[in-house]
Amino acid sequence: MNLSKVFTKAIITSPERQQEADADLSIVKRVQAGEVAAFDQLILKYRERVFGIIYNLTSNREDASDLTQDAFIKAFQSINRFQGHCSFFTWLYRIAVNGALSHLRKNRLRTFFSLEKLHEDGTNAQIIDQLTDKKGADRGTYLKELQEKLNEALQKLSIPHRTVITLFEIDGLGHAEIAEIMGCTEGTVRSRLHYAKQFLQGEMGKYLNS
Amino acid sequence: MPHFKQRPKVTIEDLIRLKRDERPAAAFWVNFDHELRQKQLTALLKKRAWWQELPQLLMRRAYLPVGATAILAFTFVSVKYYGPTPAPALVSAPVQQSQVAAEPAVANQAVSSPLANRSPMIAAVLEARPAVVTDSTPLPEPIELMPRQTRAVAAETPSAQTIAANLASFELTEPELVNSVRGSRLSPAARIQNVDLVVSELASVPTNASMRSRILAQYADRPLSREPSAPEIVRERLARRLGNSDITDRLNRIGLRGDQVSLGVTLRL
Repeated sequence: MNLSKVFTKAIITSPERQQEADADLSIVKRVQAGEVAAFDQLILKYRERVFGIIYNLTSNREDASDLTQDAFIKAFQSINRFQGHCSFFTWLYRIAVNGALSHLRKNRLRTFFSLEKLHEDGTNAQIIDQLTDKKGADRGTYLKELQEKLNEALQKLSIPHRTVITLFEIDGLGHAEIAEIMGCTEGTVRSRLHYAKQFLQGEMGKYLNS
Repeated sequence: MPHFKQRPKVTIEDLIRLKRDERPAAAFWVNFDHELRQKQLTALLKKRAWWQELPQLLMRRAYLPVGATAILAFTFVSVKYYGPTPAPALVSAPVQQSQVAAEPAVANQAVSSPLANRSPMIAAVLEARPAVVTDSTPLPEPIELMPRQTRAVAAETPSAQTIAANLASFELTEPELVNSVRGSRLSPAARIQNVDLVVSELASVPTNASMRSRILAQYADRPLSREPSAPEIVRERLARRLGNSDITDRLNRIGLRGDQVSLGVTLRL
Protein backbone atom coordinates (compact mmCIF):
# COMPACT_ATOMS: atom_id res chain seq x y z
CA MET A 1 0.00 0.00 0.00
CA ASN A 2 1.18 3.46 -0.78
CA LEU A 3 2.64 5.28 2.22
CA SER A 4 0.90 8.54 1.43
CA LYS A 5 -2.42 6.74 1.35
CA VAL A 6 -1.72 5.33 4.79
CA PHE A 7 -0.88 8.83 5.98
CA THR A 8 -4.11 10.21 4.56
CA LYS A 9 -6.13 7.47 6.20
CA ALA A 10 -4.45 8.29 9.49
CA ILE A 11 -5.34 11.97 9.17
CA ILE A 12 -8.97 11.45 8.25
CA THR A 13 -10.05 9.81 11.43
CA SER A 14 -13.74 10.61 11.63
CA PRO A 15 -16.08 8.46 9.48
CA GLU A 16 -17.91 11.58 8.27
CA ARG A 17 -14.71 13.01 6.93
CA GLN A 18 -13.87 9.71 5.29
CA GLN A 19 -17.30 9.53 3.71
CA GLU A 20 -16.93 13.08 2.48
CA ALA A 21 -13.51 12.32 1.02
CA ASP A 22 -14.86 9.27 -0.80
CA ALA A 23 -17.74 11.29 -2.24
CA ASP A 24 -15.31 13.96 -3.44
CA LEU A 25 -13.09 11.33 -5.02
CA SER A 26 -15.97 9.91 -7.03
CA ILE A 27 -16.79 13.42 -8.32
CA VAL A 28 -13.15 14.01 -9.19
CA LYS A 29 -13.04 10.75 -11.14
CA ARG A 30 -16.06 11.85 -13.13
CA VAL A 31 -14.34 15.14 -13.95
CA GLN A 32 -11.20 13.28 -14.92
CA ALA A 33 -13.28 11.08 -17.18
CA GLY A 34 -14.45 14.16 -19.06
CA GLU A 35 -17.61 15.21 -17.22
CA VAL A 36 -16.51 18.78 -16.72
CA ALA A 37 -19.83 19.98 -15.29
CA ALA A 38 -19.34 17.74 -12.27
CA PHE A 39 -16.69 20.14 -11.06
CA ASP A 40 -19.45 22.66 -10.28
CA GLN A 41 -20.56 20.44 -7.42
CA LEU A 42 -17.13 20.75 -5.86
CA ILE A 43 -17.20 24.52 -6.33
CA LEU A 44 -20.57 24.84 -4.63
CA LYS A 45 -19.48 22.61 -1.82
CA TYR A 46 -16.22 24.28 -0.96
CA ARG A 47 -16.40 27.89 -2.19
CA GLU A 48 -17.42 29.35 1.17
CA ARG A 49 -14.77 27.49 3.13
CA VAL A 50 -12.04 28.35 0.64
CA PHE A 51 -13.16 31.96 0.59
CA GLY A 52 -13.20 31.98 4.40
CA ILE A 53 -9.64 30.78 4.77
CA ILE A 54 -8.31 33.21 2.17
CA TYR A 55 -10.35 36.08 3.55
CA ASN A 56 -9.03 35.47 7.05
CA LEU A 57 -5.50 35.37 5.73
CA THR A 58 -5.75 38.54 3.67
CA SER A 59 -8.47 40.53 5.50
CA ASN A 60 -9.54 41.83 2.14
CA ARG A 61 -12.79 40.81 0.47
CA GLU A 62 -11.83 41.58 -3.12
CA ASP A 63 -8.47 39.84 -2.90
CA ALA A 64 -10.10 36.86 -1.26
CA SER A 65 -12.68 36.66 -4.03
CA ASP A 66 -10.05 36.74 -6.78
CA LEU A 67 -7.77 34.27 -5.02
CA THR A 68 -10.64 31.86 -4.40
CA GLN A 69 -11.56 31.92 -8.06
CA ASP A 70 -7.93 31.38 -9.01
CA ALA A 71 -7.68 28.44 -6.64
CA PHE A 72 -10.68 26.74 -8.23
CA ILE A 73 -9.35 27.35 -11.72
CA LYS A 74 -5.95 25.93 -10.80
CA ALA A 75 -7.62 22.90 -9.27
CA PHE A 76 -9.73 22.46 -12.41
CA GLN A 77 -6.69 22.71 -14.67
CA SER A 78 -4.68 20.27 -12.59
CA ILE A 79 -7.48 17.86 -11.83
CA ASN A 80 -5.82 15.14 -13.94
CA ARG A 81 -2.79 15.26 -11.66
CA PHE A 82 -4.90 14.53 -8.59
CA GLN A 83 -4.38 10.85 -7.84
CA GLY A 84 -6.22 10.54 -4.55
CA HIS A 85 -3.19 10.28 -2.30
CA CYS A 86 -4.88 12.82 -0.03
CA SER A 87 -8.46 14.03 0.18
CA PHE A 88 -9.67 16.51 -2.43
CA PHE A 89 -10.44 18.94 0.36
CA THR A 90 -6.82 18.89 1.58
CA TRP A 91 -5.53 19.20 -1.97
CA LEU A 92 -7.81 22.16 -2.71
CA TYR A 93 -6.88 23.82 0.58
CA ARG A 94 -3.22 23.45 -0.23
CA ILE A 95 -3.73 25.17 -3.59
CA ALA A 96 -5.74 27.96 -1.97
CA VAL A 97 -3.34 28.51 0.93
CA ASN A 98 -0.29 28.48 -1.35
CA GLY A 99 -1.94 31.02 -3.65
CA ALA A 100 -2.84 33.24 -0.70
CA LEU A 101 0.64 33.02 0.79
CA SER A 102 2.19 33.87 -2.55
CA HIS A 103 -0.13 36.86 -2.85
CA LEU A 104 0.71 38.02 0.67
CA ARG A 105 4.45 37.78 0.01
CA LYS A 106 4.09 39.80 -3.17
CA ASN A 107 2.00 42.49 -1.50
CA ARG A 108 3.69 42.48 1.87
CA LEU A 109 3.70 46.24 2.14
CA ARG A 110 0.15 46.77 0.97
CA THR A 111 -2.21 46.14 3.85
CA PHE A 112 -5.70 47.29 3.00
CA PHE A 113 -8.66 45.99 4.95
CA SER A 114 -11.95 45.38 3.29
CA LEU A 115 -14.01 43.56 5.86
CA GLU A 116 -17.23 41.64 5.67
CA LYS A 117 -20.09 42.42 7.99
CA LEU A 118 -20.03 40.54 11.26
CA HIS A 119 -23.33 38.64 11.47
CA GLU A 120 -24.73 38.80 14.94
CA ASP A 121 -27.15 35.96 14.44
CA GLY A 122 -24.41 33.40 14.13
CA THR A 123 -23.17 30.80 16.55
CA ASN A 124 -21.18 33.38 18.44
CA ALA A 125 -24.13 35.59 19.33
CA GLN A 126 -23.76 34.75 22.99
CA ILE A 127 -20.13 35.82 23.05
CA ILE A 128 -21.02 39.05 21.30
CA ASP A 129 -23.67 39.74 23.90
CA GLN A 130 -21.23 39.02 26.64
CA LEU A 131 -18.60 41.28 25.15
CA THR A 132 -20.78 44.26 24.41
CA ASP A 133 -23.68 44.15 26.82
CA LYS A 134 -24.82 47.35 25.20
CA LYS A 135 -27.74 48.38 23.07
CA GLY A 136 -28.38 50.36 19.93
CA ALA A 137 -25.67 52.28 18.05
CA ASP A 138 -23.05 51.82 20.72
CA ARG A 139 -23.13 48.07 20.32
CA GLY A 140 -22.63 48.28 16.55
CA THR A 141 -19.70 50.69 16.95
CA TYR A 142 -18.14 48.49 19.56
CA LEU A 143 -18.44 45.43 17.35
CA LYS A 144 -16.92 47.25 14.40
CA GLU A 145 -14.02 48.42 16.52
CA LEU A 146 -13.51 44.92 17.87
CA GLN A 147 -13.55 43.49 14.37
CA GLU A 148 -10.95 45.99 13.16
CA LYS A 149 -8.68 45.45 16.15
CA LEU A 150 -8.88 41.71 15.71
CA ASN A 151 -7.95 41.97 12.05
CA GLU A 152 -5.11 44.34 12.83
CA ALA A 153 -3.76 41.95 15.43
CA LEU A 154 -3.99 39.03 13.01
CA GLN A 155 -2.19 41.00 10.33
CA LYS A 156 0.64 41.70 12.75
CA LEU A 157 1.33 37.97 12.95
CA SER A 158 3.74 36.42 10.50
CA ILE A 159 2.19 34.61 7.56
CA PRO A 160 2.83 31.07 8.86
CA HIS A 161 1.48 31.91 12.32
CA ARG A 162 -1.58 33.59 10.84
CA THR A 163 -2.22 30.62 8.60
CA VAL A 164 -1.99 28.15 11.46
CA ILE A 165 -4.34 30.04 13.75
CA THR A 166 -6.82 30.65 10.95
CA LEU A 167 -6.91 27.01 9.94
CA PHE A 168 -7.16 25.78 13.51
CA GLU A 169 -9.47 28.23 15.24
CA ILE A 170 -11.64 29.48 12.39
CA ASP A 171 -11.76 26.54 9.98
CA GLY A 172 -11.58 23.91 12.69
CA LEU A 173 -8.91 21.74 11.09
CA GLY A 174 -6.78 19.35 13.13
CA HIS A 175 -3.04 19.63 13.71
CA ALA A 176 -2.25 16.80 11.31
CA GLU A 177 -4.33 18.29 8.51
CA ILE A 178 -2.73 21.70 8.99
CA ALA A 179 0.71 20.09 8.98
CA GLU A 180 -0.07 18.37 5.70
CA ILE A 181 -1.46 21.52 4.10
CA MET A 182 1.48 23.63 5.22
CA GLY A 183 4.12 20.99 4.64
CA CYS A 184 5.53 21.03 8.17
CA THR A 185 5.45 18.84 11.25
CA GLU A 186 2.69 18.70 13.81
CA GLY A 187 5.12 19.98 16.41
CA THR A 188 5.74 23.06 14.35
CA VAL A 189 1.98 23.59 14.02
CA ARG A 190 1.49 23.35 17.78
CA SER A 191 4.38 25.68 18.46
CA ARG A 192 3.13 28.28 16.02
CA LEU A 193 -0.36 28.03 17.42
CA HIS A 194 0.86 28.58 20.95
CA TYR A 195 2.92 31.60 19.97
CA ALA A 196 0.11 33.12 17.89
CA LYS A 197 -2.39 32.79 20.75
CA GLN A 198 0.01 34.38 23.20
CA PHE A 199 0.60 37.26 20.83
CA LEU A 200 -3.12 37.82 20.19
CA GLN A 201 -3.85 37.65 23.89
CA GLY A 202 -1.41 40.49 24.44
CA GLU A 203 -2.87 42.53 21.61
CA MET A 204 -6.53 41.98 22.53
CA GLY A 205 -6.15 42.14 26.30
CA LYS A 206 -8.39 45.20 26.55
CA TYR A 207 -11.34 43.34 25.07
CA LEU A 208 -10.75 40.21 27.06
CA ASN A 209 -10.78 41.98 30.42
CA SER A 210 -13.76 44.20 29.72
CA MET B 1 -27.83 39.78 42.98
CA PRO B 2 -26.83 40.33 39.37
CA HIS B 3 -23.78 42.47 40.22
CA PHE B 4 -22.01 39.64 41.95
CA LYS B 5 -22.96 36.97 39.46
CA GLN B 6 -19.77 35.54 37.93
CA ARG B 7 -19.91 35.72 34.12
CA PRO B 8 -17.91 33.21 32.08
CA LYS B 9 -14.68 34.81 30.89
CA VAL B 10 -14.22 35.53 27.19
CA THR B 11 -11.08 33.86 25.90
CA ILE B 12 -8.92 34.71 22.92
CA GLU B 13 -10.28 31.61 21.15
CA ASP B 14 -13.79 33.05 21.50
CA LEU B 15 -12.65 36.29 19.94
CA ILE B 16 -10.95 34.56 17.03
CA ARG B 17 -14.01 32.42 16.40
CA LEU B 18 -16.02 35.60 15.94
CA LYS B 19 -14.43 35.78 12.55
CA ARG B 20 -16.45 32.76 11.49
CA ASP B 21 -19.42 35.10 11.34
CA GLU B 22 -17.74 37.47 8.95
CA ARG B 23 -19.55 36.14 5.93
CA PRO B 24 -20.40 37.76 2.62
CA ALA B 25 -24.02 38.32 1.67
CA ALA B 26 -25.86 35.97 -0.70
CA ALA B 27 -25.62 38.48 -3.55
CA PHE B 28 -21.86 38.20 -3.38
CA TRP B 29 -21.97 34.54 -4.43
CA VAL B 30 -24.04 35.29 -7.52
CA ASN B 31 -21.37 37.68 -8.72
CA PHE B 32 -18.66 35.26 -7.64
CA ASP B 33 -20.14 32.41 -9.69
CA HIS B 34 -20.50 34.61 -12.72
CA GLU B 35 -16.86 35.76 -12.56
CA LEU B 36 -15.62 32.24 -11.91
CA ARG B 37 -17.49 30.92 -14.95
CA GLN B 38 -15.92 33.60 -17.13
CA LYS B 39 -12.43 32.87 -15.80
CA GLN B 40 -12.96 29.16 -16.29
CA LEU B 41 -13.91 29.64 -19.93
CA THR B 42 -10.94 31.97 -20.50
CA ALA B 43 -8.61 29.39 -18.97
CA LEU B 44 -10.04 26.69 -21.22
CA LEU B 45 -9.59 28.79 -24.35
CA LYS B 46 -6.18 30.14 -23.43
CA LYS B 47 -3.37 28.21 -25.04
CA ARG B 48 -0.70 27.38 -22.55
CA ALA B 49 2.92 28.12 -23.32
CA TRP B 50 5.11 25.16 -24.26
CA TRP B 51 7.34 25.55 -21.19
CA GLN B 52 4.30 25.21 -18.94
CA GLU B 53 3.52 21.84 -20.48
CA LEU B 54 7.12 20.68 -20.47
CA PRO B 55 7.09 19.12 -16.98
CA GLN B 56 3.94 17.23 -17.83
CA LEU B 57 5.55 15.91 -21.01
CA LEU B 58 8.71 14.89 -19.21
CA MET B 59 6.78 13.14 -16.49
CA ARG B 60 5.00 10.85 -18.89
CA ARG B 61 6.52 7.43 -18.85
CA ALA B 62 6.52 7.05 -22.61
CA TYR B 63 9.01 9.88 -22.90
CA LEU B 64 11.44 8.56 -20.32
CA PRO B 65 13.28 6.14 -22.66
CA VAL B 66 13.53 8.87 -25.27
CA GLY B 67 15.00 11.26 -22.76
CA ALA B 68 17.43 8.67 -21.47
CA THR B 69 18.58 7.87 -25.00
CA ALA B 70 19.06 11.54 -25.76
CA ILE B 71 21.15 12.01 -22.64
CA LEU B 72 23.28 8.98 -23.48
CA ALA B 73 23.79 10.19 -27.04
CA PHE B 74 24.74 13.63 -25.84
CA THR B 75 27.22 12.17 -23.35
CA PHE B 76 28.77 9.96 -26.04
CA VAL B 77 29.13 12.84 -28.49
CA SER B 78 30.57 15.19 -25.88
CA VAL B 79 33.10 12.58 -24.70
CA LYS B 80 34.10 11.68 -28.24
CA TYR B 81 34.58 15.19 -29.57
CA TYR B 82 35.36 17.25 -26.51
CA GLY B 83 37.03 14.71 -24.27
CA PRO B 84 40.81 14.55 -23.62
CA THR B 85 42.78 13.65 -26.75
CA PRO B 86 45.85 11.37 -26.51
CA ALA B 87 49.15 13.22 -26.26
CA PRO B 88 50.86 13.47 -29.65
CA ALA B 89 54.29 12.84 -28.11
CA LEU B 90 54.31 9.15 -28.85
CA VAL B 91 53.60 9.75 -32.49
CA SER B 92 55.65 12.82 -33.07
CA ALA B 93 58.94 11.49 -31.73
CA PRO B 94 59.73 9.01 -34.54
CA VAL B 95 58.27 11.39 -37.07
CA GLN B 96 60.62 14.14 -36.04
CA GLN B 97 63.62 11.86 -36.11
CA SER B 98 62.75 10.49 -39.51
CA GLN B 99 62.22 13.96 -40.87
CA VAL B 100 65.61 14.99 -39.59
CA ALA B 101 67.17 12.00 -41.23
CA ALA B 102 65.40 12.56 -44.48
CA GLU B 103 65.74 16.31 -44.60
CA PRO B 104 68.92 17.54 -42.96
CA ALA B 105 67.78 21.14 -43.20
CA VAL B 106 65.56 20.67 -40.16
CA ALA B 107 67.50 21.25 -37.00
CA ASN B 108 67.33 18.51 -34.46
CA GLN B 109 68.72 20.81 -31.81
CA ALA B 110 65.63 22.90 -31.90
CA VAL B 111 63.98 20.36 -29.67
CA SER B 112 66.35 21.13 -26.85
CA SER B 113 65.27 24.76 -26.69
CA PRO B 114 64.32 26.33 -23.35
CA LEU B 115 60.69 25.72 -24.19
CA ALA B 116 61.33 22.04 -23.86
CA ASN B 117 61.72 22.48 -20.13
CA ARG B 118 58.44 24.31 -19.83
CA SER B 119 56.08 22.33 -21.99
CA PRO B 120 55.19 18.86 -20.71
CA MET B 121 54.39 17.77 -24.24
CA ILE B 122 57.90 18.62 -25.46
CA ALA B 123 59.35 17.01 -22.37
CA ALA B 124 57.51 13.87 -23.28
CA VAL B 125 59.01 14.05 -26.74
CA LEU B 126 62.48 14.36 -25.26
CA GLU B 127 61.88 11.36 -23.03
CA ALA B 128 60.69 9.31 -25.94
CA ARG B 129 63.86 10.02 -27.85
CA PRO B 130 67.02 7.99 -27.35
CA ALA B 131 68.99 9.47 -24.47
CA VAL B 132 72.34 10.01 -26.19
CA VAL B 133 72.92 9.95 -29.91
CA THR B 134 76.61 9.92 -30.59
CA ASP B 135 78.32 10.21 -33.88
CA SER B 136 78.93 6.49 -33.98
CA THR B 137 75.27 5.61 -33.34
CA PRO B 138 73.63 4.76 -36.59
CA LEU B 139 70.41 6.64 -37.21
CA PRO B 140 67.32 4.53 -37.73
CA GLU B 141 66.04 4.08 -41.19
CA PRO B 142 63.89 7.03 -42.27
CA ILE B 143 60.21 6.33 -42.35
CA GLU B 144 58.34 7.28 -45.45
CA LEU B 145 55.94 9.89 -44.24
CA MET B 146 55.49 11.80 -47.46
CA PRO B 147 55.26 10.42 -50.96
CA ARG B 148 58.53 10.68 -52.84
CA GLN B 149 56.96 12.88 -55.45
CA THR B 150 55.88 15.35 -52.79
CA ARG B 151 59.33 15.42 -51.25
CA ALA B 152 60.87 16.05 -54.64
CA VAL B 153 58.52 18.95 -55.18
CA ALA B 154 59.33 20.25 -51.71
CA ALA B 155 63.04 20.04 -52.43
CA GLU B 156 62.60 22.23 -55.44
CA THR B 157 61.01 25.06 -53.53
CA PRO B 158 63.09 28.26 -53.25
CA SER B 159 63.36 28.03 -49.47
CA ALA B 160 64.65 24.46 -49.65
CA GLN B 161 67.21 25.46 -52.25
CA THR B 162 68.39 28.34 -50.07
CA ILE B 163 68.70 26.09 -47.02
CA ALA B 164 70.66 23.53 -49.03
CA ALA B 165 73.07 26.21 -50.31
CA ASN B 166 73.60 27.58 -46.81
CA LEU B 167 74.22 24.13 -45.46
CA ALA B 168 76.82 23.40 -48.14
CA SER B 169 78.70 26.60 -47.35
CA PHE B 170 78.61 25.88 -43.60
CA GLU B 171 79.95 22.39 -44.21
CA LEU B 172 83.13 23.93 -45.42
CA THR B 173 83.55 26.52 -42.68
CA GLU B 174 81.83 25.00 -39.65
CA PRO B 175 81.74 21.22 -39.89
CA GLU B 176 80.94 20.78 -36.16
CA LEU B 177 77.93 22.99 -36.39
CA VAL B 178 76.68 21.21 -39.47
CA ASN B 179 77.02 17.89 -37.71
CA SER B 180 75.02 19.18 -34.80
CA VAL B 181 72.34 20.53 -37.11
CA ARG B 182 72.13 17.21 -38.88
CA GLY B 183 71.11 15.49 -35.71
CA SER B 184 74.25 14.44 -33.94
CA ARG B 185 75.13 15.92 -30.60
CA LEU B 186 77.96 18.35 -30.18
CA SER B 187 81.22 16.75 -29.32
CA PRO B 188 82.70 17.62 -25.89
CA ALA B 189 85.28 19.86 -27.52
CA ALA B 190 82.65 21.78 -29.35
CA ARG B 191 80.62 22.14 -26.19
CA ILE B 192 83.56 23.61 -24.27
CA GLN B 193 84.29 25.89 -27.17
CA ASN B 194 80.77 27.17 -27.20
CA VAL B 195 80.72 27.70 -23.42
CA ASP B 196 83.98 29.65 -23.60
CA LEU B 197 82.50 31.77 -26.33
CA VAL B 198 79.44 32.52 -24.25
CA VAL B 199 81.48 33.32 -21.15
CA SER B 200 83.79 35.67 -22.98
CA GLU B 201 80.81 37.40 -24.56
CA LEU B 202 79.12 37.66 -21.18
CA ALA B 203 82.17 39.17 -19.58
CA SER B 204 82.60 41.69 -22.34
CA VAL B 205 79.04 42.96 -22.31
CA PRO B 206 78.96 46.31 -20.49
CA THR B 207 75.80 46.13 -18.44
CA ASN B 208 74.64 47.43 -15.09
CA ALA B 209 75.44 44.05 -13.63
CA SER B 210 78.98 44.01 -15.04
CA MET B 211 80.46 43.02 -11.68
CA ARG B 212 78.14 40.07 -11.52
CA SER B 213 79.15 39.15 -15.08
CA ARG B 214 82.82 39.28 -14.11
CA ILE B 215 82.24 37.03 -11.12
CA LEU B 216 80.37 34.60 -13.31
CA ALA B 217 83.20 34.66 -15.84
CA GLN B 218 85.75 34.01 -13.09
CA TYR B 219 83.68 31.21 -11.79
CA ALA B 220 83.38 29.70 -15.25
CA ASP B 221 87.18 29.73 -15.63
CA ARG B 222 87.64 27.57 -12.58
CA PRO B 223 88.39 23.93 -13.26
CA LEU B 224 85.64 21.43 -12.50
CA SER B 225 86.24 19.43 -9.34
CA ARG B 226 84.28 17.00 -7.20
CA GLU B 227 84.37 19.43 -4.24
CA PRO B 228 83.82 22.81 -5.70
CA SER B 229 84.75 25.80 -3.56
CA ALA B 230 82.86 29.06 -3.79
CA PRO B 231 84.61 32.36 -4.50
CA GLU B 232 86.05 34.29 -1.58
CA ILE B 233 83.34 36.93 -1.47
CA VAL B 234 80.60 34.31 -1.41
CA ARG B 235 82.27 32.45 1.44
CA GLU B 236 82.67 35.64 3.43
CA ARG B 237 79.02 36.60 3.04
CA LEU B 238 77.88 33.12 3.90
CA ALA B 239 79.97 33.13 7.07
CA ARG B 240 78.54 36.50 8.12
CA ARG B 241 74.97 35.36 7.59
CA LEU B 242 75.49 32.12 9.45
CA GLY B 243 77.10 33.96 12.34
CA ASN B 244 74.18 36.44 12.53
CA SER B 245 76.68 39.26 12.72
CA ASP B 246 75.01 40.97 9.80
CA ILE B 247 71.58 40.87 11.45
CA THR B 248 72.79 42.16 14.83
CA ASP B 249 74.76 44.83 13.05
CA ARG B 250 71.61 46.05 11.32
CA LEU B 251 69.53 45.95 14.48
CA ASN B 252 72.12 47.97 16.37
CA ARG B 253 71.70 50.77 13.93
CA ILE B 254 68.12 51.45 15.10
CA GLY B 255 67.98 53.04 18.51
CA LEU B 256 64.87 53.54 20.63
CA ARG B 257 65.21 55.99 23.48
CA GLY B 258 62.12 57.45 25.16
CA ASP B 259 60.15 59.15 22.41
CA GLN B 260 63.11 59.24 20.01
CA VAL B 261 64.05 56.88 17.28
CA SER B 262 67.58 57.15 15.97
CA LEU B 263 68.98 55.53 12.87
CA GLY B 264 72.71 54.89 12.52
CA VAL B 265 74.20 54.83 9.03
CA THR B 266 77.53 53.15 8.37
CA LEU B 267 79.43 53.93 5.23
CA ARG B 268 81.58 51.16 3.87
CA LEU B 269 84.45 52.21 1.71
